Amino acid sequence: MAIKQVYSLQETKLVAGDFKKQLGSFSPSVVLFFASVSHDHSLLNTELQKAFPGAKIFGCSTAGEIVTGKMLSNAVVCMCFDKETIADAHIEVLENIASEDRVPETFKKFETYFKTPIKDMDVSQYVGIILIDGMSGAEERVMDRIGNLTDISFIGGSAGDDLQFKKTFVSSGGKAYSGAAVLALLKPVNGFDFLKTQSFSSTGKKLKATDVDETARTVHAFDGKPAMQAYAQVLGVSLADAGQKFMTNPVGLKVGEEFYVRSPQQPQGQSLRFYCNIKKGMELDVLVSRDIVQDTRIALDAKKKELGLIRGIIDFHCILRTLELRQKNQCDAYGKLFEGIPAIGFSTYGEEFIGHINQTSTMLIFK
Amino acid sequence: MAGQIKRLIDTIITQRAKGNTTIMYTTKAKLTLKGVNPDLFSDTSADDPETINRLKGIAAELGVTIA
Repeated sequence: MAIKQVYSLQETKLVAGDFKKQLGSFSPSVVLFFASVSHDHSLLNTELQKAFPGAKIFGCSTAGEIVTGKMLSNAVVCMCFDKETIADAHIEVLENIASEDRVPETFKKFETYFKTPIKDMDVSQYVGIILIDGMSGAEERVMDRIGNLTDISFIGGSAGDDLQFKKTFVSSGGKAYSGAAVLALLKPVNGFDFLKTQSFSSTGKKLKATDVDETARTVHAFDGKPAMQAYAQVLGVSLADAGQKFMTNPVGLKVGEEFYVRSPQQPQGQSLRFYCNIKKGMELDVLVSRDIVQDTRIALDAKKKELGLIRGIIDFHCILRTLELRQKNQCDAYGKLFEGIPAIGFSTYGEEFIGHINQTSTMLIFK
Repeated sequence: MAGQIKRLIDTIITQRAKGNTTIMYTTKAKLTLKGVNPDLFSDTSADDPETINRLKGIAAELGVTIA
């Protein structure tokens, strides 16, 4: 029984062979990979499919990769599961997500495969992974639709392209897609859990969105004032300096004691564009950043204590967190948090957990 | 009149979660992400027609029947 993680810094053509060599006699039934866009994703898919012909393979492009003990660039990281860790899995691709709602038909396919209506599937037995084009702007809609149709948790990330913001890829069945999402429904043998950590505290100050363009992820006004002016005022900085606060002072929707972070992206005149949507009337806490490494260590330690044994972790880690770690020279320290645990992850263009969120690590933990 | 919004929220969460505490939390989060934060409403909250209509729409999306 095993979950194994491997990574490769080889050229694309040699990656699958490198993985096979590292895995030895281990024969995976499910393979999940995250790869830099410096690799040819079509070629990578073809080679992985050839190397693991019996496996169900899915993955996506990244803005940086994570593997046990390391944060990497220009790499391919891979997690391999055997039948004794994932009893069964089915993977579907949703194409044209910007213009079409393919979630209901995808769920029908899951129902056909697992021979169970999605509403009757035990939420403690099944878990979903979503990998979605990070340039599609469709994450909120797709996650909302998923959440309407099922209580099974889907966790995942928006594919990246090494901060080029041009084209991202999701992959399944030996093919790479853009403008698409991959949904995988898994039945882990020993159960699973989640860890969501965002390393922010509330400043105690609030902003209420009073005029928004939800589709454009833009807030025109907070509390009846132009959004940039209100944001600068609440932080006590000049309009000119407000942009420098975006990374350390995003806003958050509070659910219980948890924040669902919405990160400012850039001013649009007097308006403010975010990396995910804000609806009219939403009351948001103005947040202030804490130490990512320390916070994540505390959260991981608590989870280890709670679960006893962790067999594997998939970390969907916001690129904004990665940029902050790079700025503070903390990437090594972050990578080392996962030492001793089979783990992979990637720097995302947004995280998916119940909805679309920012500046968060959402982790799927295999017990 | 007051309290209708809280009653609608409670109905949605109860019907969807069927006693499962994890689903209670995720339904609460879904409502918040859809624009209605359950924590902001109590038995004395005014019956704002816009919020009530929004909640009826959300209930339909979530497959919850409102009496």
